[in-house]
Amino acid sequence: MATTQQLQLLAPLSGLLMPLEQVPDPVFSSRVIGDGLCIDPTSQTLRAPLAGVVSNVQDSGHAVSITDDNGVQVLMHIGLDTVNLAGKGFSRLVQEGQRVEAGQPLIEFDADYIAVHARSLLTLMLVVSGEPFTWLTGDSALVDSGQPLLQLSLGAPAPSAEPEEEGEALFSKPVTLPNPNGLHARPAAVFAQAAKGFKASICLHKQQASANAKSLVAIMALQTAQGDALQVSAAGADAEAAIKALAELLASGCGEAVTAIAAEPVAAVAAPAGKLLRGVCASTGSAFGQVVQVAEQKLEIVEFASDQAAQRGQLERALAQATEALQVLRDKAASTAQGEIFKAHQELLEDPSLLEQAQALISDGKSAAFAWNRATEATAELFKGSGSSLLAERALDLMDVGQRVLKLLLGVQDSAWALPEQAILIAEQLTPSQTASLDTRKVLGFATVGGGATSHVAILARALGLPAICGLPVQVLALASGTPVLLDADQGELHLEPAPAVIAQLQARRQQQQQRQRQELEQSAQAAVTRDGHHFEVTANVASLAEAEQAMDLGGEGVGLLRSEFLYQDRGVAPSHEEQAATYSAIARALGPERNLVVRTLDVGGDKPLAYVPMEPEANPFLGMRGIRLCLERPQLLREQFRAILASAGLARLHIMLPMVSQLAELRQARQMLEDEALALGLKELPKLGIMIEVPSAALLADLFAPEVDFFSIGTNDLTQYTLAMDRDHPRLASQADSFHPAVLRLIASTAKAAHAHGKWVGVCGALASETLAVPLLLGLGVDELSVSVPLIPAIKAGVREVELSQCQALAGRILGLESAEQVRDALHQHRQSTLAPSPVLEN
Amino acid sequence: MFEKLQRALWKALTPDLVPDQPKATAPVKDDAALDEAVIAALGGANNLKSRQRVALTRVRVELHDPTLLDATALRNAGVPGVMALVGGVVHLLVGLSPT
Repeated sequence: MATTQQLQLLAPLSGLLMPLEQVPDPVFSSRVIGDGLCIDPTSQTLRAPLAGVVSNVQDSGHAVSITDDNGVQVLMHIGLDTVNLAGKGFSRLVQEGQRVEAGQPLIEFDADYIAVHARSLLTLMLVVSGEPFTWLTGDSALVDSGQPLLQLSLGAPAPSAEPEEEGEALFSKPVTLPNPNGLHARPAAVFAQAAKGFKASICLHKQQASANAKSLVAIMALQTAQGDALQVSAAGADAEAAIKALAELLASGCGEAVTAIAAEPVAAVAAPAGKLLRGVCASTGSAFGQVVQVAEQKLEIVEFASDQAAQRGQLERALAQATEALQVLRDKAASTAQGEIFKAHQELLEDPSLLEQAQALISDGKSAAFAWNRATEATAELFKGSGSSLLAERALDLMDVGQRVLKLLLGVQDSAWALPEQAILIAEQLTPSQTASLDTRKVLGFATVGGGATSHVAILARALGLPAICGLPVQVLALASGTPVLLDADQGELHLEPAPAVIAQLQARRQQQQQRQRQELEQSAQAAVTRDGHHFEVTANVASLAEAEQAMDLGGEGVGLLRSEFLYQDRGVAPSHEEQAATYSAIARALGPERNLVVRTLDVGGDKPLAYVPMEPEANPFLGMRGIRLCLERPQLLREQFRAILASAGLARLHIMLPMVSQLAELRQARQMLEDEALALGLKELPKLGIMIEVPSAALLADLFAPEVDFFSIGTNDLTQYTLAMDRDHPRLASQADSFHPAVLRLIASTAKAAHAHGKWVGVCGALASETLAVPLLLGLGVDELSVSVPLIPAIKAGVREVELSQCQALAGRILGLESAEQVRDALHQHRQSTLAPSPVLEN
Repeated sequence: MFEKLQRALWKALTPDLVPDQPKATAPVKDDAALDEAVIAALGGANNLKSRQRVALTRVRVELHDPTLLDATALRNAGVPGVMALVGGVVHLLVGLSPT
């Protein structure tokens, strides 16, 4: 007859007792790990409940187990989901293998930090070895650290699994551990529980180390980490079944929500072999500096939560905090562009449908973090699949603002980003939040894999005046931080470990450029006349009075494109006649009666919707109701605009231009309306009426349009994307959607020919006109007017002064026979070298 | 939702074109409501710098003057556990909130 020995377990902490079954964590409340107790602590030092040896202390310091001489094993786990804190807030006072006395301090923790940053402080003390116990406390829920709590009976140990007859051990294939924090208490408990279901003796192996798979503490003592290759071995009758089941369990995450580990995409990418990587220029300039790789933190999200009200509260708080934080970022934004981005983020946070999705998930028992993450991810996917490149790019904003809230929910703090001097930031994609925390004094430039001309990197870089390249090959992410690189955004090139000569060359070129820009500015008031005496008009693309005034200061000879959308966008009702008329008149007055003012009528549609012009959603808005199509469908809108534009008649040489015309009927209908309105106003002289050439059908029918218009203006951006069937903002096609493509150039040539045959003039108001490289080509193709972005007026005027029209015409003739945009660019570069050899060359 | 987002994004892309519209920010809701007796035991509403529901079972308050806290009165007001920390921070252990 065995004598029953008694062992008392002391309270490891002071605090409030909570019944184990109430603990909001199924692994603990179901007693899978073992029976015991839960304390909500009011003290901050965890003390040993019994004398014994520390059999395991987790590296993260949130859990410890002690085994006494009789084999009694007690696990203490401080807080819920505290493994996510990765050791922060905990200090370990003991080592594994150390012998401790009952009451000896084991771990100190910062209760306030944990309370604010982890899910809970509820602390578990569990008898893992399974001895039965009785309670020593009375009714009081309050306990003091060191007070005897449980009485264990040692006499009747649970029949321990005797080693079976040892057969030959079978081994599983290695399993890559998917759990983000390794096999910490909860997944380890699930695994051990499953292993106990088999008779075979089972071991879990991590390299040379191995552990009894039926012992929770032994598994925890392996200190596994995500990505570890683990093997299960078993010997005994059901060894084969055990290995199969346990290996599968390991791979599936042992009850934790895990994502399958694919081969790490970045790790798989070899560092680039060459010395040069090519991308697309997103912001001009160049810089020499060192690589700084920017990586986004991985966040761990627990899927389920039982306390819906608290989850809702957490989400609301996090949203409010995020809004506040964004306000701070707005207030101290380095540029208006940046501030506006954060304003858009704030508006995203107020979006009701996002919140509804998250609330619904919380109602289904999900945690606030999980629900929020799922809602933002799903909506971002929607954006990406929307068919609108603009929206697709904004999916990044949604993910960015989503991460901001998620970090607040999880209590993850963004570590301050210590940048070295002369940093060239390299990333898959930079988010606005990342760039906001940058010390821009230390950043010389950006280089990213994703993104296009409208990406944040591009907007931010231009606002900061820093060079940037987008669309680099993914190998750029494998570059070691600190690698010296030369970022030559003008050429879209990233040189790795450049030779000193290359750097010197670049610096010399920068100086020449600056000198040239000064010269251009000084001469900007002079006319744009070619060497052989032909005058070309260089006008401006503007969208406000301020821009129009600036254009005149920089030598602009008129406005070739007034984008009237600015009067209509982002408001609840259409602008009044008075407001419109006053705006057009003010701009006309700024130009004066000797200069052209070309007003483009409203160019909106599914791609740029108006609040007060409700539209059916379109699968492909760029091929939908935009431009003149929308205006003719809502003639009142167009009539009102005509009336307002006509109010400025006489103040400048007024031109009206219709966008997106693809059929003659559209032109005729609009002209009729314009004539009606002019008649009603008693105007004797009609303003000039022209059309944009941006749809291939209009270019191909230019000879039929020409007799019925006063001028053409070619919108090369849309003409290029419609001719090549390539979205100009497509992340991978953008670099190929090149307006230098010979097909686009042939359409320009035939348009010019048709116009001149009827004595009409042709302008180009697309981005191609703002490229200095294109100047001789466009003049040679017969273009009469170049309407360019305001800051480039001096450079384009200087470009015209450098060429001879007869040479340009010969060049254009040759180029129309070429095959590809690359060939065209090469031919233009050669031409420039040959004609301008002595003088410095300006790119873009 | 798409229309609204598109407007917001258009705004972000063309900041110079779009007038600012002031917007009321949503008020922060307070789920860490405390009984009058509890507030009195903490030294009155004026002694409360902040309060926040944390860690499933706790209300975290910051007090201007921690010496005004009356532990006995708190217990009588139904707060079974109190943890006073540095910097005037006090955790009130109020248990799991009902769901």
